[in-house]
Amino acid sequence: MKPIQSNEDYQKYVDEKTPNSPILKNCFNAFWVGGLICAIGQIIFEYCQIRGIDETNSYTIVSMLLIFTSAFLTTLNIFNKIGKFAGAGSLIPITGFANSIVSPAMEYKSEGYVLGVGAKMFTVAGPVLVYGISTSIIVGLIYILFNTQNLILV
Amino acid sequence: MIIIKKVGNQSYILENPVNILETASIVGPKEKDGPLHEFFDKCLEDEFWGEKSWEKAESKLVKETMNLAISKSGIPNSNIDFCFAGDLLNQCIASSFGIRDINIPFIGLFGACSTFVESMIVGSSFIDGNVATNVVCSASSHFCSAEKQFRFPLELGNQRPPSSQWTVTGCGVAVLTKQGNGPYITSFTPRKNC
Repeated sequence: MKPIQSNEDYQKYVDEKTPNSPILKNCFNAFWVGGLICAIGQIIFEYCQIRGIDETNSYTIVSMLLIFTSAFLTTLNIFNKIGKFAGAGSLIPITGFANSIVSPAMEYKSEGYVLGVGAKMFTVAGPVLVYGISTSIIVGLIYILFNTQNLILV
Repeated sequence: MIIIKKVGNQSYILENPVNILETASIVGPKEKDGPLHEFFDKCLEDEFWGEKSWEKAESKLVKETMNLAISKSGIPNSNIDFCFAGDLLNQCIASSFGIRDINIPFIGLFGACSTFVESMIVGSSFIDGNVATNVVCSASSHFCSAEKQFRFPLELGNQRPPSSQWTVTGCGVAVLTKQGNGPYITSFTPRKNC
């Protein structure tokens, strides 16, 4: 082996030795688990429609059930195993968001209810909320500025 | 007479070699599965070790390992002058709570991965400088408390890359004395962070 003399050489050496993530396998698992979660959501939605619930309420019911299931599985220490297997497949749907709020709440319970659970609950989801909401405000402003002629409140 | 101990840019040679009298280590379940398991004094089956939180478990690790090392060395607590200890948690709580009952003056250190060597360097310098005759040096960490402190909650469903590192669950303690039959600390070279 030739001696490592510069930072670039060292970086090259590290890249050579570091095992890569199994990207294809991860993508495949993420695809089918994510698809399955969405399919479950759709099944719940269709069932609500059959039972005669209107569309808006059906969507709310779907969100509520998926969030509850994810939060419940998190507390049983099952969701992190699904997450390890499926990655973004379980992280990107609403299930991942529920998990990212419940898991800090569980972890920081040992520090008390106010300064532990209350203060640390959004350590993972907080940045998503801040930038998600900020972006939606900016997009909303652009919409109002450039689309005043046919502004429709949905 | 002043004896200059510095050699070169950043190395130091101790005037009298400092003796490592006794060591002790207690580790967690993952370390038990590793190739070094036969060298540890005790391996835990469970990361909580009967405590209510990860931090309390880490404190218990420090306390038990410290007691084990001191009892193996045969030096009474009252003859130990300093305890140099550190961990990864805020305000070194694992060490400071862990050594509350053993009644030895405590100097908390933080050097992340280097805490153990750091404590040995400081401990041997104290002995070489005739400030102390016997000291204990310790470092501890706990996978779960370190994840909570620095990364994500354990229950978060994220993926770890195959090259990601795993913080040790465990504690190591060394008892340093002025005289003894070795092994010895003779010199040390702290690295510059550049």
